[in-house]
Amino acid sequence: MALTEDRPLALPSGGTDEGYTPTGVFTRPTAETGVRSWFTTVDHKKIGIMYGAAAIFFLIIGGAEALLIRMQLWAPRGTLLSANLYNQVYTMHGTTMVFLVVMPIGAAFANYLIPLQIGARDVAFPRINAFSFWAFLFGGLFINSSWLMGGGADGGWFMYAPNSGVIFSPTHGIDFWNLGLIITGIASLTGAVNLIVTVLNMRAPGMTLMRMPIFTWMALVSQFLLLFAIPVLTSAQILLMLDRTFHANFFNVAKGANPLLWEHLFWIFGHPEVYLMILPAFGLVSEILPTFARKPIFGYPFIVFSGIAIGFMGWGVWAHHMFVSGIGPISVTAFSLTTMFIAVPTGVKILNWTATMWGGKLRFSAPMLFSIGLVTMFTIGGLSGVMHSVAPMDSQQTDTYFIVAHFHYVLFGGAFFGFMGAFYFYWSKAFGYMLNESLGKANFWLMLLGFNLTFAPMHVLGLQGMSRRIYTYDPGYGFDFWNKVATIGAFTLASSIALFIFNIFYSKAKAKNLPPVGPDPWDGRTIEWMVPSPTPAYNFDPIPTVTRVDDFWYRKYGETKDGNLVRIASTAEVAQQRTDGKGIHLPSPSYWPLVLAFGLPIVSYGMIFTLWLALVGGIICVGAIYGWVMEPPDDPDLAHDDHGPDAHVSDGGDAAIPETAESLMEVETVG
Amino acid sequence: MQRLPKIVRILAVLSFTLVVVLFAALIVNSFQNAGKPLTSLNPQGPSAESIQQLLIPVTSIAAVVFVLVLGAILFITWRYRERKGTDPEEFPAQVHGKTPLEIGWTILPALILAGIAVGTVMTIINLNREAPNSINVQVAGQQWWWQYKYDINGDGDFNGPGDITTATEMVVPAGRPIQVTTTSNDVIHSFWIPGLNGKKDAVPGLRSPLKLQADEPGIYRGQCTEFCGLSHANMRMLVRAVPSGDYEAWVKNQLTTRGGEPSDPVAAEGKKVWQALCAQCHVINGINDLKMKETPPPLVSGVAPNLTHLMTRGTFAGSIFNLYEPVGADGQPLPMSDVAAAGDPGSALAGGKVDTANVNRVTLEAWLRNAPAMKPMYPQGGRGMPNLNLTEEQIDQLVAFLETLN
Repeated sequence: MALTEDRPLALPSGGTDEGYTPTGVFTRPTAETGVRSWFTTVDHKKIGIMYGAAAIFFLIIGGAEALLIRMQLWAPRGTLLSANLYNQVYTMHGTTMVFLVVMPIGAAFANYLIPLQIGARDVAFPRINAFSFWAFLFGGLFINSSWLMGGGADGGWFMYAPNSGVIFSPTHGIDFWNLGLIITGIASLTGAVNLIVTVLNMRAPGMTLMRMPIFTWMALVSQFLLLFAIPVLTSAQILLMLDRTFHANFFNVAKGANPLLWEHLFWIFGHPEVYLMILPAFGLVSEILPTFARKPIFGYPFIVFSGIAIGFMGWGVWAHHMFVSGIGPISVTAFSLTTMFIAVPTGVKILNWTATMWGGKLRFSAPMLFSIGLVTMFTIGGLSGVMHSVAPMDSQQTDTYFIVAHFHYVLFGGAFFGFMGAFYFYWSKAFGYMLNESLGKANFWLMLLGFNLTFAPMHVLGLQGMSRRIYTYDPGYGFDFWNKVATIGAFTLASSIALFIFNIFYSKAKAKNLPPVGPDPWDGRTIEWMVPSPTPAYNFDPIPTVTRVDDFWYRKYGETKDGNLVRIASTAEVAQQRTDGKGIHLPSPSYWPLVLAFGLPIVSYGMIFTLWLALVGGIICVGAIYGWVMEPPDDPDLAHDDHGPDAHVSDGGDAAIPETAESLMEVETVG
Repeated sequence: MQRLPKIVRILAVLSFTLVVVLFAALIVNSFQNAGKPLTSLNPQGPSAESIQQLLIPVTSIAAVVFVLVLGAILFITWRYRERKGTDPEEFPAQVHGKTPLEIGWTILPALILAGIAVGTVMTIINLNREAPNSINVQVAGQQWWWQYKYDINGDGDFNGPGDITTATEMVVPAGRPIQVTTTSNDVIHSFWIPGLNGKKDAVPGLRSPLKLQADEPGIYRGQCTEFCGLSHANMRMLVRAVPSGDYEAWVKNQLTTRGGEPSDPVAAEGKKVWQALCAQCHVINGINDLKMKETPPPLVSGVAPNLTHLMTRGTFAGSIFNLYEPVGADGQPLPMSDVAAAGDPGSALAGGKVDTANVNRVTLEAWLRNAPAMKPMYPQGGRGMPNLNLTEEQIDQLVAFLETLN
C-alpha cells in the first residue's frame, strides 16, 4: 500500500540538528528559475525534460551516423567512408541509439510521468535522480568525445571478444566505448533503484498497485530489468577494461579464455535490454489508445501481467543471439523454445490494444496515429522475431540485414513510434503549449513512409544474402536496388525528425497568440491530467486520493450498469488550480550530483591516457560524495518543518466527486 | 498553414499507398532469386532444403497473422472512427475486458507456436545428424580469408602428410555430404554458404560442426557473417562442387608438391623473388617448409594462404577478386570484374595446364604492386599482406612463377 504524503520527502531540518553547522560545505543552491537552476535541480520534471533534450541531441548525432551508413551503401563499392571509418560509424550509431537515445527517452518519460501518475511530489531520491541524469549525459559525451581523440569504437555495439582486444583494436575507441558505457550503466542503475523505490513507496493514498496507470507499470518492470541487467554488462565491461588497460587475460584465447564468455554476459544483459527499451513505449501507447478510443484499456490486468511475464521470460532467451555460435544443439533447442513462447505475452498486448480500439469512438490525433503505427509496425517486428526463434531459420537469417530490419521494426517501429506519440501527447503537460496537430499528422505519415522505405527492403536484402556490418558490397549480388530505396527512405525519415523539431519551435511561437492550455486538453484518464499545464513544481495540491484505475476519468464521468458513460463533473470542476504551493515541502536543489557525475569521465580519461588523471577524478568523486553526505538537509531559511495543513495532504478521495457519482461507480468491474 | 490539413490528407494517402506498393514489391521480389548468388531462399542442398521447408510454413503463418491483425486494425479505424457532427459527449460502450477472450488469445498463439516448435525441434535434430560417408573438412577463419584442411587419409587429423591444406575456395564432390568443423585462428568469424546451409560461427578455441552438401555441380558463394574487424566485408569464400571424378583428380593434384625449377627463365626468376619475400608468410609445399603456425589461438595472423596450387582456384584475396575470367551459365565469358560470378580455372582446377590467356593479370599485378590499397588490411599489426614495394620487373617475374602453380 502507498505511504501517505504526511511523511517528509527528506530529513526534516528542524529540531534534532539544532545548533549544528555543517563544516566546509556550501549551503544548498536555491535558484528555481534561470539557467543555473537546471544545473542544480533535483525536480523530477526538469530532470525528465533534460533527459529528453539530451536524447534528442544524441538522436541527431546517431541519425547523422545512420545517414552516413546509408550514403555509403547507396551503391556498390561506395567510397564515402573508408572501411575503418565505416566500422566506427556503425558501432557508434548502434551504441548511440540504444544507450543514448532510446533508453534515455524511456528514462525521460519515466522521470516526468511516474511521480505524476502515482500522485507523488517527486521521486524517492531526488539528488540521486539528478546524479543519474548527469552521469548519463557525461557518459554519452565521453563516448562521443572519442571522435575528437583518435576515432570511435570499431567493434560493433556488441563488442565481441577477442576482436575487442588491444591486439585487434589498438586505438582507444573501444576504451571510450567501454568506460563511457560503464558510466551510463551507473546512471541507469541508480535511476532504476530510485524509480523502483518511488513506485513502491510513494504512491498517493488509494493508489494500489493494480490501480496504477499502465505506463507506470511498464516503466516499473523496465526498471527491474535494468536493475538486474546492467550489472551483468558492467561486470563484462570491467573484465574488458582489465584486459585492455591492465593486460589481463579474461578474453585471451591463448591463455585459455573462451570468447563465448563475453557473448553470454553481453546477451544476458542484451536481451532484457531489448524489453526494457520497448516496455515504456508499450506503457505509453496503453495510455494513448484508451484516451482517443474514448473507452478503457481492454483487459487492464492482462496488459499488466503480460508485461510482467515479458519481464520474467526476457531472462531466459538470451542465447537466441548465439544460435550459430557453437553452443550445441541442446542449448539451441532450449533457447529456441523459450524464445518462441515469449511471443505469447507480446501477442496478448497487441490483441488487447486492438480490442481497446474495437467499438470505440476513435479520434485520430497525432498521438493516436503514432500509437496505431506502433501496434502495426511492432507486429511486423514481433513476427519476424518469431521467425528467428526458429533456430534453423535463424541460422540463415542471423547477422544479415533481415536482423537489421527486425530490430528496427521493434525499436523504431515499436519503441520510437510510441515515444513520438507520447511527445505529442504529453508536450503540453511539460511545456504548457500544444504541438501543432496538422504538422504532427504530417510528421506521422512522413515517418511511417520513411521508416518503411528504409527498413522493409532490408528484410529481402537479408534473406537474399546481404550480410550485416559490411562497409561495401559488390555488384552482381542483387543488392543494388533495395539499398537505394533504403537510402531514400533514410532521408525521408530524417526529414520527418526535422519536421518534429521544427514543430516544437513553430508551435511555441504560435502559442503566444493562443489561449493557455488547460490541464486536460485530451480529456485524459489518469491523474497527471488533473494538474495544471505546465506542471507546477509541487505537482499536486492537494494530493488526490485514488479510488480506481483511470481515477481522473471517473471524477469526470460515471458509468452505469450497462456500461454507458454519464458526465458527472466538468474538467474545470475536478482539475486542480495552480496554487502558490506555500507550505509544501519540496527537496532542495544541490550542486553535488553534478560534481560527482563530472568526476566519472575524468576518471575514465585517466584510465585511457594517464592514471594520474584518474586520481584527480577519483578525488573529485570522493569530495563530491563527502559534500553530498554532509550537505545540510535543506535550506535552513525555509520553514519546511511545517508540512502544511491537512488540506495539503490529501483530498480524501471524494473532495471533487459529487454525491451522485457514488452510486454510479459501484458497478465498475475490472479497475 | 490554413491549407495544411489538406496537404496532410494528401500525404497520408500517398504514404499509405507507397507503403502498400513497397510491401507488394518486396513480396514479389523475394521470389526472384535468380542472379542472386548469396540468396538463402534458393536451397541447393539437403540442409538448406530442410530449413526452407520450415521457412515456408512459418513465414506463411506469420504473414497470415499479420494480415489478420492489420486487417482488423484497418477495419476498426474505418468502422469506429469518430464521425463528423457526432456529439462529443456521446461515448461508446465502456468495455473493460472479457476474460474468456483474453484466455482464448493467450492459448491460441501458444498452440500455433507449439506446432512450430515441433517442426523446429525435428529440423534441429535432422541438421545435427551426422551423415555417413562424409568428407571431413576443417574450416578456419582468419582475418580476412578462409583456410580449408581436408582429412583425406581419414585419420581424424587434418595436418597429416596425406591431407590437404588450401584456401579461399572449398572444392567438394557434388552429391556427397561434407562434415565441416569451423574454428578460427584469431577473432570470431562465421562461415556461411546460404545455398547449402545456415551459418556457423568460427570461434577461436572451439570446433563447431556444420553439414554441407551440394546436390549439383556449381559455384556456391559465401560471405563471412560475424563482424571480424577491418575487412569483414571483404572476407568471402565459395564452395566449388564438381562431379566426383573431377574431385578425385583435384585431390590427387592437391597432394602433389613442387620440386625442381620452372622451365621458363622468367618464372625461375620469379621463384627467387618468391623465396626472398613471399615465403616469409606463404607456403608452397615442396619449396619452403615454413611451419605454418598451427592455430594455438589466438594468433595475430602472420600466416598467409597456402599457395601450392594457387592456380587451381578461380578467385583470390578472400574471394574478392577473380583470378580467372568468369564464365556465364551459357558458356560465354563474363567481365573480369564480375566477382559474384567467380573466375573459372577450367582444366587447371584438377591440375591441367593454366590457360594464361584467361588469367586476370591486371588485378593480380595490382595486388602484388600494393595489396593494402586493394583491400583494407592491417599489415603493420601482422594482419594482412603488406606493400612489398616490388619493381615492375619483379611483378612480371612473380606472376610468371605463380602461373606455374597449377
